[in-house]
Amino acid sequence: MDVGEGPSRAHHAPSITRDDRIQIGHTLLIKIPSGDIRSIKLEKDATVNLGKFGSFYANELVGQPFGLTYEIVDKRLKVLPPRPLQEVEDTEATNELINDGQFVQPLTVEEIEALKKSGLHASEIIKKQIEQHANYSLKTEYSKEKYKKRKEMKYSKSFSVIEPTMFNVCEYWFNKDQNRLRDIRPDSLAQMMNLANIRPGGRYIAVDDASGVVVSAILDRLGGQGRLITICDVDSPPAYPVMVQMNFRKEVVTPTMASLNWATADEEYTPIIASTEPPAGKFKSDGQRARLNKRKVASDALMQTREELFSGEFEGLIIASEYDPHSIIEKLYPYLAGSASIVVHSPHVQVVTNLQNQLRDLPGYLGPTVTEGWLRQYQVLPGRTHPMMNGSGSGGFIFHVLKIYDDPTASSVMVHRHRKKAKQSSEAPSAASNGTKEGSVTVTASDLESTPAPASAESSGPTEDVEMRTL
Amino acid sequence: MWSTAREIAAGDVVIVWMTRDIIQPLVITPGKELNSKYGYYRHDELIGVPYGSKVRSRNGKGFIHLLRPTPELWTLALPHRTQILYLADIAFVTSWLDIRPGSKVIEAGTGSGSFSHSVARTVGPRGHLWSYEFHEVRAEKAREEFTRHGMDGIVTLTHRNVCKQGFTVEDTVDAVFLDLPAPWDAVEHAKKALRKDRATRICCFSPCMEQVLRTVAALNEAGFTNITMYETLLRPHQVDAASPLLPVSAISTKLKHSEARREEKRLRQIANARLGMERRAAKRKAGEGEDAEGAGGEEKEGKRVKTESAQQGREGGGEERPSPEEQAQDEAEALTEIRAASNTQGQDEQSATPEPRKITLSKAFPEVRGHTSYLTFAVLLPLSTATPASQAGGNDGSGAVRTEVRTLTAQIETIRMTC
Repeated sequence: MDVGEGPSRAHHAPSITRDDRIQIGHTLLIKIPSGDIRSIKLEKDATVNLGKFGSFYANELVGQPFGLTYEIVDKRLKVLPPRPLQEVEDTEATNELINDGQFVQPLTVEEIEALKKSGLHASEIIKKQIEQHANYSLKTEYSKEKYKKRKEMKYSKSFSVIEPTMFNVCEYWFNKDQNRLRDIRPDSLAQMMNLANIRPGGRYIAVDDASGVVVSAILDRLGGQGRLITICDVDSPPAYPVMVQMNFRKEVVTPTMASLNWATADEEYTPIIASTEPPAGKFKSDGQRARLNKRKVASDALMQTREELFSGEFEGLIIASEYDPHSIIEKLYPYLAGSASIVVHSPHVQVVTNLQNQLRDLPGYLGPTVTEGWLRQYQVLPGRTHPMMNGSGSGGFIFHVLKIYDDPTASSVMVHRHRKKAKQSSEAPSAASNGTKEGSVTVTASDLESTPAPASAESSGPTEDVEMRTL
Repeated sequence: MWSTAREIAAGDVVIVWMTRDIIQPLVITPGKELNSKYGYYRHDELIGVPYGSKVRSRNGKGFIHLLRPTPELWTLALPHRTQILYLADIAFVTSWLDIRPGSKVIEAGTGSGSFSHSVARTVGPRGHLWSYEFHEVRAEKAREEFTRHGMDGIVTLTHRNVCKQGFTVEDTVDAVFLDLPAPWDAVEHAKKALRKDRATRICCFSPCMEQVLRTVAALNEAGFTNITMYETLLRPHQVDAASPLLPVSAISTKLKHSEARREEKRLRQIANARLGMERRAAKRKAGEGEDAEGAGGEEKEGKRVKTESAQQGREGGGEERPSPEEQAQDEAEALTEIRAASNTQGQDEQSATPEPRKITLSKAFPEVRGHTSYLTFAVLLPLSTATPASQAGGNDGSGAVRTEVRTLTAQIETIRMTC
């Protein structure tokens, strides 16, 4: 890229891991007028059925860019131009005289069905409803807008295609069932990726029991370059269902990833592999040759992946698992490089706080932190800007620590100062702050601010700008 | 960007972690020295040390950790020239804007380069970041840093006021990030720089709600959709290992012990006082005659009555209480007794455990960041292309649909051009 000023039309590099256009075989996230999102696989020449919102030919979407909204007309699609936000006029209207009741909107269900059948466009149906609505004119303009929107959600035959970005896919899964994601909310996922320094060309180990949301995010940020070894608790290749909606380009993403389980990841264990040579010394049939060949390829790959793990120097370890994280870290710690990040996510605070206490007295770990993400979305409409009425209670908790190479001969500056003081006068003031200790020396809270904490002890003593200094 | 070698080499940028609050960058320069509160180090002796090592000072007092730079550590270590972005915002913006390997991104302004380093790391050598800074000195500082950190292939830094002069690329980028006082003035320029063949994204970072409202109006006017806004923060938790909480039965026992001790003291005092009086009485009896006794006797009686009634007062408890110092001493002694008792008990049950088992207690830090900025996001949708089915389609009336699509597309184009 040339440095400097001046306009430039850079050549559009095609997306590396994902297609820019909808293809057959993609699993699409379709947003219907009710606000719900459905996951639909696009099959060739098939018809996509959206229930009361209509159905259309799947082929219509092929080659379309992601993100557009379509109207269904006779099973074909018409692009709907996006509507700008309407300014809503302030009037004197209030809800003072409006009574909720049965007869407010007089069109019966049968009448509405008849209108629908007659082919009347949704906007016309809504217009009719408004005409007949007893109190409509009394409503505030905001209330009218809300009413119209609610009716649109019920009657229009349109949908949007949601682009499968990691953010959108994670949000879709989180809203559908956050337990399957172990409470990994889009903001938590993003923080994990940054804390673990996931970059194209990097090498990482992941333990993902959260439906593959972590694996998907790492693969997305590797962009086809680098390496990810995942460790799972089953024999066969793990199912990471979140990857389905990402629509990764298999030829780009598959080479970057390999999996082991807790037995095959054990250096002391020799996996049991059936023989890859024909027992008779000669192949009995082509079928047998093919089978044995396949077996050999698989066992070679397994051996290679094991070697790769045991050679170590991985840059990061990311954990979102139902198993005890301390046991996972213990097993995989030797395969991490110095200065590597260890990131552990849990829906429960106790899991990560216990982990911090387990590691605090061990050498080889630096700067442990536990953080909780807070996220609030706002509706930004002219005259109607406020936080969303429904919020997310929890995105889980993240533990982060760095692996370091300890030097047991190194001693803290404070130890020397205390020894000096002890020699000069009687005992140094010893007030254990919150019951924590630094090695064998007890320090006061003021000392903590200037003491180089040995790898182990990290607890209290926050300074003013805590957020500035903790990750 | 930074070194990926296992060991530190001359010329490397290294992050020196002295304490949680003192994290600084260091350029390893042969011949130079690092002299700090945490010891004295010669750069030459740091060469060849593996990244991630704890290194002790030359004089044996103090140590530091030498870490491999990452954008996250850089954010904590960098010299601030402006207010910077921290992890929560950087991560969220990167994710919402779908910034990933190969992405083309615009950032204005560069500021102290906190966000810039993170983006460069994420987009990698196949992506690109065009960064703009209107302050000349800050632009220069940033430029030096980008070069020193090996980012020149990924980042193009331009000294420019983008609100007045726009950007230096057109129809190119996937995402725009505006951290400016008046982002609404840059929205139209951003639209020009964004590519039109797929959905692209924008984020405006503003601390004040008034700025958000103006930005939303500008985005809407320019044809952006899916306009929304978020706040995101991190709550750090402090974690401690504490002794298990004392049950109230222990306190009950302690209070009973101290009450018993007080009673014991009181009875001792009464006994001593009586003894003292009897001795004095015996002395007087021996030293004086009957008359003196008679007269003195009444007085003594009076005194005796007074003393007795005073003692009764204490006996009854009444208003008189032991002095606070006495009380505290009693309680402390009692507590030590109880602790000793439980420790012995513990030692009997388990073999030599020097400390009682700790429990984990955690709570949010008392001081947390309350607000950084509002993140306003929006999408710029591409102009649609006619669906292939309609294009290939035959005489089943799809011609009408095709025409409608084309008309609509033309309308959108017209609208877009006049915006």
